[in-house]
Amino acid sequence: MSVRQLAVAAALVAAAAALPLVASEYHQSFMLQLFMMVALAQAWNLISGMTGYVSFGHAAFFGIGAYAGALLLQYGFPWWLAVVKGALIAAAVSAPIGLLTLRLRGPYFAIAMLGLNEVARIVATLWVDLTRGGSGISLSPALLPGLSVNYYTMLLLAIAATALVAWIHRGRFGLELRAIREDEGAAEMVGVNTVRNKLSAFVLSAAIPGAVGAVFVMYTSYLNPSSAFAASLNIQMIVMVMFGGTGTVWGPVLGAGIVMLVREFLWAQFPALHLALLGAMLLVVVLFLPGGVMSVFARRKRMRPEVITRESR
Amino acid sequence: MAIGSILSVRNLHRDFGGVQALKGVDLEVARGSITGLIGPNGSGKTTFFQVVSGMDRQATGEVIFDGAPILGLKPYEIYHRGLARTFQLSRVFPQLSVLENLIVAAHRKDRGARSRALELLARVRLEDYAEVLGSDLSYGQQKLVEFLRVLMSEPSMILLDEPAAGVNPTLRQTLWDMVRHLNGLGTTFVIIEHNMEVIADLCREVYVLSEGGIIARGDFAAVRSDERVLEAYFGRARQ
Repeated sequence: MSVRQLAVAAALVAAAAALPLVASEYHQSFMLQLFMMVALAQAWNLISGMTGYVSFGHAAFFGIGAYAGALLLQYGFPWWLAVVKGALIAAAVSAPIGLLTLRLRGPYFAIAMLGLNEVARIVATLWVDLTRGGSGISLSPALLPGLSVNYYTMLLLAIAATALVAWIHRGRFGLELRAIREDEGAAEMVGVNTVRNKLSAFVLSAAIPGAVGAVFVMYTSYLNPSSAFAASLNIQMIVMVMFGGTGTVWGPVLGAGIVMLVREFLWAQFPALHLALLGAMLLVVVLFLPGGVMSVFARRKRMRPEVITRESR
Repeated sequence: MAIGSILSVRNLHRDFGGVQALKGVDLEVARGSITGLIGPNGSGKTTFFQVVSGMDRQATGEVIFDGAPILGLKPYEIYHRGLARTFQLSRVFPQLSVLENLIVAAHRKDRGARSRALELLARVRLEDYAEVLGSDLSYGQQKLVEFLRVLMSEPSMILLDEPAAGVNPTLRQTLWDMVRHLNGLGTTFVIIEHNMEVIADLCREVYVLSEGGIIARGDFAAVRSDERVLEAYFGRARQ
């Protein structure tokens, strides 16, 4: 990461940290959801953007974290421990799932993950003794931290997820993950332990939504299987990463920021048309910038030397 | 395993359903040699490389590399033991830069990977392409980068699968010069190549595969005049 990028990141974090001092509850809530989407998009980016294993089921880990957080709060655990355990439980569940599903490639993995989300939703619906099924879990306000705690915790998770992706991206582990994305067979042929790398990325990418889910349930104070394992959440993660730039550090941040802001604006101005307009905008980006917004910045750096020479004449 | 061998293959079999791609292949590669592996299309040459490199783990028989059995090991385990390979069709990582393509192939604990990658690129005059994406290289450059990539782990043996196919004459010469140079430093090569001038020029020993079995071995002059080889290539013995 360059000095300029670090400066921009520091300024954004400082602005986000100062916002609750001046912003209304509505704006704080909006930003909290934005941070949530940044963290979730980064989690999806870690497994799908970097390794090319497109997951349609990462909401399952969000839901697992959310239920773990809600139950632990009810059992008397402090909120911060509920968040940590939400991440750990989601990661623990993801390990055997990853061992099984990461043997599949392409659409088979995507469908398996989609199935996982559905199975998790059904289990949560049927396991009434633990989850109260479709009635859901309502958390007493006495158990919950205030909006500002949720706000700063979600901000911290967004920063941590971005920092984790940045650290992985610039290191050897990230390079190996990207090699797997490009050609798994060739990667293995040049010494990359593909099973270990994919599983590590998968478990890390499950821990983030686990923690985010636990904070989210503290924010909403209510949880049911449909909200915990919402298929639309999977779509949002994917759309935001693709919009910003798959496999990049800043793509998910940009994607989540732009999509959330534009969606909010369109919803306020054109309530009947906002989804159609958002869809059209995404279509334009996918068609003309298949590498996402970040590809605009990366293009020149990667040009062949003779092209750079010709263009600078 | 014969004394002085780095690779010893015994009774190697590989079936694909009813098709026997390898039928009891025996092969010895002397340490520090350049060995040619030739044969008509479909004779099993690439399958042999797939099995020895661990990409195909369904074969039976015995493969001893550097004194240890490697049949059934995963490709990355074989690679880290010092046996590397290139592919018949270029398989550079298209969305990684040329430099990243090389660094990813170095051993994990190798702290000098970046500088050695730049040195290798400079040796083939590709240093200005270090930040260019693999997909933006010409096909010949991709083949060359793929060759440089396997050098990053400083392997003791390299399997080259038609390394010069589709490469322009200038880059081809660069490639063969590097093979000779590395061989001079002790690296062992097994080369699949259809250009018989190259085989004659580089290889001390040549094995001929036909329909999954070794039909001849020896120096190029001996192999070239072998009736079984002529029949395999031309369909009938020369009168």
